[in-house]
Amino acid sequence: MAAVTARRSTPDTGSLGFGWGFWLMCLATLFFLVPAFWVVLTALKTEAEYSAYPIVLWPTNPQWANFQRAVTIVPYARYARNSIVLAGTTTLLNTITSAMGGFAFARHNVRWRNALFILVLSMMMLPDMVTLVPQFILYSRLRMVGTYWPWVLGGIAGAPFHIFLFRQFFSSIPRDLEDAAEVDGCGRLRIFWQIFLPISGPVIATSAILSFQGIWGEWLRPILYLKDHNTTLAVRMATSYKDPAGNQLVTPLMAGICIYALPLILVFFVAQRQIIQGVVTTGLKG
Amino acid sequence: MAGISLALPRTRKRRLSSREARQYTSFYLFLAPWLLGFLVISLIPLLVGFGISFTNYGGFSFANMRLIGLQNYSRALADADVPFALKRTVFYSATAVPLGLVLSFAIAMMLNGRIQGRNFFRTVWYIPAVLPIVASCWIWKLFGATNTGLLNAVISLFRPGTAIRWLEDYATVTLIAFTLWGGVGRSMVIFLAGLQGIPVELKEAASIDGANNLSIFWKIILPLMTPVLFFQLVMHMINSLQVMQPALLLAETPSEGMAMATAVPRANYMYMIHVFITTFYHNNFGYGNAMLWLMFLLILLLTLLVFRSSRYWVYYEVEQEGGRA
Repeated sequence: MAAVTARRSTPDTGSLGFGWGFWLMCLATLFFLVPAFWVVLTALKTEAEYSAYPIVLWPTNPQWANFQRAVTIVPYARYARNSIVLAGTTTLLNTITSAMGGFAFARHNVRWRNALFILVLSMMMLPDMVTLVPQFILYSRLRMVGTYWPWVLGGIAGAPFHIFLFRQFFSSIPRDLEDAAEVDGCGRLRIFWQIFLPISGPVIATSAILSFQGIWGEWLRPILYLKDHNTTLAVRMATSYKDPAGNQLVTPLMAGICIYALPLILVFFVAQRQIIQGVVTTGLKG
Repeated sequence: MAGISLALPRTRKRRLSSREARQYTSFYLFLAPWLLGFLVISLIPLLVGFGISFTNYGGFSFANMRLIGLQNYSRALADADVPFALKRTVFYSATAVPLGLVLSFAIAMMLNGRIQGRNFFRTVWYIPAVLPIVASCWIWKLFGATNTGLLNAVISLFRPGTAIRWLEDYATVTLIAFTLWGGVGRSMVIFLAGLQGIPVELKEAASIDGANNLSIFWKIILPLMTPVLFFQLVMHMINSLQVMQPALLLAETPSEGMAMATAVPRANYMYMIHVFITTFYHNNFGYGNAMLWLMFLLILLLTLLVFRSSRYWVYYEVEQEGGRA
């Protein structure tokens, strides 16, 4: 396929359509958003309103206190801190090593390069579960279950998806820049660190955001590897809240879910361009 | 896609100049973290997993482990849960993947036309893709809940007293709906970028020649989009055959620990759930790994099949490399 750039294929002459397509999309979007909106509404209800039959659509008095209960019934801050530490560390490591990998593929002309690049691409298609179970055996034999080491090692290894992203970006940078630096006696590491990285802001942002999102939302590996004291928000949010008497509490949990998902939605609104660019770059590969 | 060109001038066999030698060292130094990582946390575990599939390994000490030959594999053939889970998985994939592709392609086509608020729609439809899986599964659990869910409440307006147990009796329907809801945005964004890459001149030339919109779609747009469709099909197929996490998270009242996997309704008893229960609940790592390798082979086979079929339906402009890689 040609060009990832958002080239307009429809000339914007005249006014844009408010035709049947527009109204159909509006209707579809409404249906699309309703389930998510229902969670926000539930977060603002009382427990009685939540379980009432027939159901109560709109909370009479928005229960903002649910948000406070969400973070006090369980040690929310601790789980959030764990998530931030885990996602932050992994993202930092993953972004650096993936950038290095991308640089290797984009700016070196050596034998085996293409074979190795195909290996990277085929790793993107390797079913996750096939490596997940044996990795669990490896980490449990290395006594790394209950620690963040699986993420640290995974971060150091970088990820095929991100290597591909950086490779695409670095390939587009003109050679002259590199040649000039080499004439001046710049080593490869300095070329990477002082010339390529400083002009890679957008792609670094893309990679970092996608990586952070991924780890923040990850649920399977935390339940396999982490213990109650160092596990992430994702694991805690998957099980229900209980009051001291052991009854399930749904409304504070939904408030907790809202707080848990909010950072990702905010980041998406701020960095929409980078995120969609990254998804498109890797998704259009066909 | 533009930008990936794997063609390289062949390096001649001769002594390396010092510049070339530096290139080699630098290439491997920069790639070292990934290469080492690939060896230690991908390749070696993969091979170890294959080895363990011929043993009775129970997950703890290697002391009691012994080789049992192909027993795990013959057990998989006799295990009634294997064909059952496989059938559920194939049903899920064969429904969710084509529906998802058609739906996201249709929405992308719609947004590619002359429509007001394209960016707004694109943003909104992408939001579920940024939500963490735990959050989006709660959204659907709450929406589809039998007594308190909005879905039954809306149906009750037309048929009072509706109490359909969506998460149990229609577990697979709910799972597919969840998958479409969460996945359509991502594919749509990719299709939209592909559609915007189609040269305007092609469509204009065709319409000057008297082609109507329908034939422009079938003769120009669709063929030019086949490489994108192909890649999306492959990735969705691979992912949907290993569906597991949403099935676990959508189950009503998930129990604590690995026992939660037993709460999954029978209809959503996917292949990977069977593997998960065998491995982490019954601690039968040998049998679990054997079943994993069977699925791996099936996925590999299907992927190769789709790749082979691509020459009949995927349109490559000049070079053949498009969908390969």
